[in-house]
Amino acid sequence: MTRISGKYLAKRIVVSYLTLLVIMSLLFVLLRSMPGSFITSMISSGMTNEQIQQIRETWGLNEPLWRQYIDFMINYQTGNFGRSPTYNAPVADLMIRRMPRTLVLFGATFLIGFIIGPLVGMYLGWWRGSKKDKSIFSTSLLLYSMPSFWISWLFIWVFNYELGWLPSAYMFTQFPEFQWTAFTVMRDVLYHIALPIMSLTFIGWVGSMLIMRPTMNQVTDEGYVFLAHAKGLSERTVMIKHAARNALIPVATGAVVGLAFLIDGSIIIENVFNWPGMGQIIVTSVLNRDFPVAQATFFLLAVLVVIMRLVTDVVYTYLDPRIKFGEGE
Amino acid sequence: MTLLEVNDLSIRYAVDDGSAVHASDDVNFSVEPGETYGLVGESGCGKTTLAKSLVHLLDDNGYIEDGEVWFETTLPQWADENGDPKQSVIDDPDKPVRADGKTDLAQLNSKQIRDIRWRDIAIIPQSAMNALNPVYKVGDQIVEAILRHEPETTAEEAHERARDLLERVGIEPDRADDYAHQFSGGMKQRAVIAMAMACGPDLLIADEPTTALDVIIQDRILEELEALQEEFGVSILVISHDISVMAEICDRMAVMYGGKVMESGRTEEIFDATANPYTLGLKNSFPTITSKDQDLVSIPGTPPTLRDPDEGCRFRERCPFAVEECHAAHPPMYDVATADAEGRAVESTDRRAHTTACYRIDELEQIRTDAINESTWTDQTIESR
Ligand SMILES: Nc1ncnc2c1ncn2[C@@H]1O[C@H](COP(=O)(O)OP(=O)(O)OP(=O)(O)O)[C@@H](O)[C@H]1O
Ligand SMILES: [Mg+2]
Repeated sequence: MTRISGKYLAKRIVVSYLTLLVIMSLLFVLLRSMPGSFITSMISSGMTNEQIQQIRETWGLNEPLWRQYIDFMINYQTGNFGRSPTYNAPVADLMIRRMPRTLVLFGATFLIGFIIGPLVGMYLGWWRGSKKDKSIFSTSLLLYSMPSFWISWLFIWVFNYELGWLPSAYMFTQFPEFQWTAFTVMRDVLYHIALPIMSLTFIGWVGSMLIMRPTMNQVTDEGYVFLAHAKGLSERTVMIKHAARNALIPVATGAVVGLAFLIDGSIIIENVFNWPGMGQIIVTSVLNRDFPVAQATFFLLAVLVVIMRLVTDVVYTYLDPRIKFGEGE
Repeated sequence: MTLLEVNDLSIRYAVDDGSAVHASDDVNFSVEPGETYGLVGESGCGKTTLAKSLVHLLDDNGYIEDGEVWFETTLPQWADENGDPKQSVIDDPDKPVRADGKTDLAQLNSKQIRDIRWRDIAIIPQSAMNALNPVYKVGDQIVEAILRHEPETTAEEAHERARDLLERVGIEPDRADDYAHQFSGGMKQRAVIAMAMACGPDLLIADEPTTALDVIIQDRILEELEALQEEFGVSILVISHDISVMAEICDRMAVMYGGKVMESGRTEEIFDATANPYTLGLKNSFPTITSKDQDLVSIPGTPPTLRDPDEGCRFRERCPFAVEECHAAHPPMYDVATADAEGRAVESTDRRAHTTACYRIDELEQIRTDAINESTWTDQTIESR
C-alpha cells in the first residue's frame, strides 16, 4: 500500500538538499561578516607574524573568497567540519559523540509530547465545553506560558534537592560503584535523563494539544462521524477511529513547528542539566568563540529539522489518502 | 403487524437563551413492514429531527420531551431463542417491552440503542455525500458495520459481502478498495445505500436521498431504493421536501409543518382527496403535481421559527382559510372520509386512516376549489399575527 510515488520522494529529497545548500551558504556568509576575522579569537597577543600567517593558511584565508566558498561547501558536504581550536580535535568527531545524546533527549521528548498532546487534545475536543475541558485547558495554557528553565529549576528543587530521587546533572554517574554492563549503563542513562525529559515534556505536549483540540471539535460535526454513530459503533470507536484519526492530519503539520520550539527548549535544558549534547556545545562554543564548532552545530540542527520535515511529509501522505503527491505528473 | 409505531412524539432543542425549539410536537405515525412511508414538508419543519430521534441520533442539545417509539425488535439480551422477548422481560415494568414483541426505543439507554442502530434501523443521512470517512477504504467502512453487529462473521466473509453489496447498487466490486474521494457524488450516495443494507435492517431511513443529485441520477437512486425494498422487504422511511418525488415512491405519507403532522394517509388519498390547506398549497408549488391549466403558486410567507411556539394552528399565519377558531389551539386530527361523506368533523386516532389537522374540515369542498385559484394565496391579508 504505497501511496507515495518514488518520483515525489526523489523530488522532496532534492528540495531538502537544496535547502541545506542554502543554509550552508548562509552560515558561510554569516561567519565572514562577523566583525573582524573569525580567526581573531585564535590569535593571542604573543603570536609572531609567522604563526598568524600559518593560522591564516590552515583556515584558507589567503585564498580568494570564491575559492574559500567552494572549499567550504565541499568540506561541509563531505563531513569535514574542520578542527576545533578549543577542543583541539576534529569537529566531526565531537559531533559524532554529541549528536546521539541530543537525539535521545530530543526523540524521547518529541515522542512523549506527540503522544500525550494529541491524546489530551482528543478528549478535550470531543468533550469541548465540559467542566473538565475548561479546567484542563486553562491549566495547560498556564503551563504553556512558563519558561522552560523555570520549570527545570522547579523540578530540580523538588525531585533532586527536596526528594533526592533524581540526579540533576550529567548523563552518567560520575564515579560509579556498579559494573559497566549494557544493562547498568542503560539504567544509569535513564536515571539521568528522567529529569530533563520531565522538564521538557511537562510543557512540550501543550503545543500539539492546542492543534488537536479545535480540529477534533470540528471533526465531530462531520457527516462521517454522524454515520459512525448511526452504525452503532461505540462512542470510543467513533471518537478514536473516526474522529481522532482525521483530526490527526493537521497535527502532523504542527509537528514541524513543534520541532523548532523543541530545539529552543533543549538548548536551555541541556545547559541547565549539564547534558553533554549539541545544545550545550552550541552555547559554550559561541561563548568561547569556537566558530568551527558553533558553525557545525548550527548546521547539524538545521539538518535535523530538514530531515524531520521530509519525514512529516511522508507521514502526511499516509495519514491522508486524499493527498497523492506527485502522481499523474 | 406494524413495524414502527410512533406515539405523541415531541422533540425539543434547548437553545442558549433558555427557550426550546419544538422541532416535533405530538407526532403520530406508523410504518408497516415492506412499505415506503414518506415525511414531506418545507425545510425546517422537523423531518430530519424526527427521523434522527428514532435512534437517538439528535444533536447534543436535542432531546425527546415525550412520546413512544415502538419498534418490532428485541435486544439480544432480552430475547429468547426465537428472537422474541422473554416472558420475564415483558412482565418487568422497568423494561420497555410489550407483549406484541415491540420495544420502546425512546426508553432505551445509549448502550442499548447502539445495538438497534444499523442492525434494525439504518439511516442514510441528509448529506450522504459527506458520510464516508475520507481516510478509510469504502469497502472497509461497510465491513466495519457488518463486524460490529455480527461479530461471528469472519473478516473475509464480511469483505465478500461488502463487495456484493456494492455490486448490488451498481458499483464495480473492485472499487471497494477505493477511497471516497475517488467516487463521484452519485457513487458515494449508492455506496452509503449499500452500507445501509449491510446488516439487513428492517427499516431504512433515507433523508433527502435525491436532493443533491441531478435528475437522471435521482431517478436511478429512487429505482435502486425500490429494487432493494422488493428484494429485501425492508421498509423505507423517506424524507423529502419535494412532494412530487414522494408521489412517485411512497405508499403512505405524512405532511409536516412546523413540527406537526398536518395530514397523513395513503399517497393516493393525499393527492386525490387533499384535505389540508397546507398540503393544497404545497401541491400548488410543485410543477409536476399541478395540472397544466393551473399556475404555479408558492405559499406566501416563511415557515415559523419553532421557538416556544404560541397556541393555535401552526399554519394559521400563512393560511388563507384561517378563521377565529384557528388561533385558540392547534387542531386535532380529523377523519377525512367521514368529512367527505357526511360533511362532519370527527376526530380520529387511527394511524392508517386518512386524517387531517384542520378545523374547517366540514367545508372541504369549498377549500379545495378556492385553493386552486392563485388569488386565494396572493390576495390574502393576514390580520392577526
Ligand atoms: N441543534 C439544533 N438546535 C436548535 N435548533 C435546531 C437544531 N437542529 C435543528 N433545529 C431546528 O429544528 C427545526 C427542524 O429542523 P430539521 O433539520 O429537523 O428540519 P428538516 O425538516 O429536516 O429541514 P430540511 O429540509 O432543511 O432538512 C428547524 O427549525 C431547525 O432550525
Ligand atoms: Mg432535514
